[in-house]
Amino acid sequence: MEFEESWSQRIMRIDPSDYHYMKVCLEFEEHGIGLNAAQFKQLLVSALQELFGEVGAALPFDVLTYEEKTLKAILRVCNSGFVKLWSSLTMLGSYKGNKCAFRVIQVSPFLLALSGNSRELVLD
Amino acid sequence: MATLRRLRETPQHFLSCVMSSFHDPRPRHRHFVETHYYNYKVSFLIPECALLPKELKSLVTELGPYYLVKNLPLHEFITPEFINTFVKKGSCYALTYNTNIDEDNTVALLPNGKLILSLDKDTYEETGLEGHPSKYSGRKSMRFSAAESSLMSYFSNYHIQEHQPRVSGSSLGELPCPVLQSDYIAGLPGVLCGAPELFEWLGAVCSNVDQNNEPHNFISTYCCPQPNTALAKAYLCSITGFLLPEKICLLLERLRHYFDEPKLAPWLTLSVHSFADSPVAWREKEHGFHKGGEHIYNFVIFNNQDYWLQLAVGANDDCFL
Repeated sequence: MEFEESWSQRIMRIDPSDYHYMKVCLEFEEHGIGLNAAQFKQLLVSALQELFGEVGAALPFDVLTYEEKTLKAILRVCNSGFVKLWSSLTMLGSYKGNKCAFRVIQVSPFLLALSGNSRELVLD
Repeated sequence: MATLRRLRETPQHFLSCVMSSFHDPRPRHRHFVETHYYNYKVSFLIPECALLPKELKSLVTELGPYYLVKNLPLHEFITPEFINTFVKKGSCYALTYNTNIDEDNTVALLPNGKLILSLDKDTYEETGLEGHPSKYSGRKSMRFSAAESSLMSYFSNYHIQEHQPRVSGSSLGELPCPVLQSDYIAGLPGVLCGAPELFEWLGAVCSNVDQNNEPHNFISTYCCPQPNTALAKAYLCSITGFLLPEKICLLLERLRHYFDEPKLAPWLTLSVHSFADSPVAWREKEHGFHKGGEHIYNFVIFNNQDYWLQLAVGANDDCFL
């Protein structure tokens, strides 16, 4: 790291965020299946339970935003549970008998990063 | 066990926050902005403001254009004609489009004339060029920005398209916001929030996160950092595209002068997101993509002309503030 010494004040934090944020999208094989926010959260809790049992299902996480139309959401999870949550999303294959999959669009320890993803820039 | 522990770890990240003043005779803020070459998104938030201020309107719509050139061979960059027409005049920026820095070959042209090639092993060996391994372990489409009409005519033999940055603005209703004071960048427990709390809150505002949740709420428990105050309204404007540092500098100056007349807002913010897949982030420092390619800087501009500058980077970046 390279620092310029002459700033009036400086604070430098390594791993400052206690949380990781994930922008995800749920895709169903068939169209027309909807979930409200509570059902969406419950689905994630079930995914954790399926892979990690009751202890995994108790992992606290937040659904910060949820769009019912597009089934897109921003999740917040503590750093220690990040890998567990992501792997649960990966292994989830169905909801009420309907085949589905989670797409993890973006992850970051900074919530601000999720509002600007240059990989979503489409020019053609 | 060690492998399992390592797999469960989250990648390292850094947040650096510094404080200075626009009255400082050394214009470090300008130098900082001018040496961040590849900017994808700029957004500013003005508390206690419902509409885009007049003095910013014209600038916000004049941040472009930029150009997309398809199937451009790289040797076009090293022709004497290109170098004399664009590179020697300075302020020519180029970056490959739709290439992922962690998977594909990526190329960037810096305004000082340096051509940066981030190549996979096979391509590197084929080129026979001398280089060094990436710190963080094509005929391609290129994005360009340079003098307007000259680019269109120079690359007329290729498929070139002009694009304008996309601007979106929204008036926000009542929302809680952290209490800040410019002298206390680390905050004061129970009295003031610090720069890290402000940075997280800003992310919540830009992503339209509900901040009025109870601790027992099933869906989300997120709430505004304490101590906080209520804003009656705020204006959030975002511009995305291939944005030049010079234009961002102008925007920063105009925002700074927003406080030339008395305003209700105690501060405002200007955030800039770099391209996740550019091979360099600041100056010629290597940039990589680990689980994310975030490289964001944020100015908090106070009404007394003090400012905080925050830099947030991920695992495959240098933090240098």
